[in-house]
Amino acid sequence: MNSPAADVRQAVRAAAQWLALLESGGATDQDRANLQRWRDSCRSHEHAWQKAQALRQRFADLPPALAMSSLDRPDPARRVVLKRALGAVALVPAAWLISRQLPLDVWRADLHTATGERKQVPLADGSVLQLNTASAVDVDLPSHRVKLVEGEMSLKVPGASPLMIQTRFGQVTVSQGEACVRQGSRGCRVSVFSGAVQLQPLQGAALTLRAGQQVDLQAAGAAAIQAFDVLQPGWREGVLMASNQPLGEFLRELDSYRPGVLRWAPELEALRVTGSFRLDDTDRILALLAASLPLEVQMRTRYWVTLTPRKKVA
Amino acid sequence: MGNACDAADLSQDTFLRLLASSQRIADLQEPRAYLLTVGKRLVSNFYQRRSLEQAYLSALASLPEECAPSPEQRWLLLETLQALDELLDGLPRAVRRAFLWSQLEGLTYQQIAERLSVSERTIKRYMAQAYEHCLLVDL
Repeated sequence: MNSPAADVRQAVRAAAQWLALLESGGATDQDRANLQRWRDSCRSHEHAWQKAQALRQRFADLPPALAMSSLDRPDPARRVVLKRALGAVALVPAAWLISRQLPLDVWRADLHTATGERKQVPLADGSVLQLNTASAVDVDLPSHRVKLVEGEMSLKVPGASPLMIQTRFGQVTVSQGEACVRQGSRGCRVSVFSGAVQLQPLQGAALTLRAGQQVDLQAAGAAAIQAFDVLQPGWREGVLMASNQPLGEFLRELDSYRPGVLRWAPELEALRVTGSFRLDDTDRILALLAASLPLEVQMRTRYWVTLTPRKKVA
Repeated sequence: MGNACDAADLSQDTFLRLLASSQRIADLQEPRAYLLTVGKRLVSNFYQRRSLEQAYLSALASLPEECAPSPEQRWLLLETLQALDELLDGLPRAVRRAFLWSQLEGLTYQQIAERLSVSERTIKRYMAQAYEHCLLVDL
């Protein structure tokens, strides 16, 4: 490679220093006048100055979040590590992220929410549907069916005309009542907030669930009915509640509301969390955790967050 | 390399690089060593580009649907990011970050100084270093 002439290098260095001075906010009027004089004094100076402006423009034209996550990825320079990792490890999170974020069924659904989004949709028959984060449903009102493709929904049916929620693990029929259904890969949790709801698991007899009861439907059938507190606020009110909950469990829940990657050190798993947190600002939840627990939040970008145990001050 | 297609692409790149370079092949003193050097540089570029691509795809996947760029924009953007990534290559980690925070997130030097727990003077030095580095690579 040819190395640039010494005077060009000199001009570039000076341009870089001028720019840094201007951006620092510490430039005086005198500095500005000097800069102008420097630019005017030589063509190579003005040329270097223009190149520097063009460089800034190249960055300014980028979408910030995407560019930040790509250019500030962990250890771009660690080739040796990368070579080892790229074979398997580095490919897994990307594939996992994509499968996690873009399952095909979601796009075909009538209604869906992105990660972190919640939505309330009044239906034509007077019922109200609410969707939690990263959820999708197909609504077919003429045949009184709502198919929960993925994620979590609640349905309030004020009238006597029933609506049937179809899940991969059974059917839930709601009339004059309100129920919440959360579907995961291995099962589906049905919680009833008011009225009574009919359930038909994939296997076994139909059952009726009343207000304050919840049950897990699995491939093998319904598990035991449990009680829960209908008055405790939840995602429908935009709140994430924890009462002496293991931090790992809490973070897995929180993660489902955040786009990107949230990771934490295994030692943090067993810490306990208590509190009620607003879901509309999950960054703030992380900040609150850092303020109340012995942990640190490292935010490379909004999309790449790692929690580590706080270092002891010597 | 892990797979034969990548290896074939890379050796072709090596020869293209050689043909495109200003040095005449006949003038090479040590053709074998030259090929090896060019080849090695390309391999490390290859991994760097791939890691960028991975990070980019992950970030894309985590965007809400309505914010995601169109397929054409995605490729243009990836190419731009790859060029800038090469431009930034070789800068120390902290300098690179400070620079990206300033350029992309519009943070002030004072905010960056707080984030990195260093003085504003240091940030000013970092920024001058980053500008100089990028401008020199681009000459």
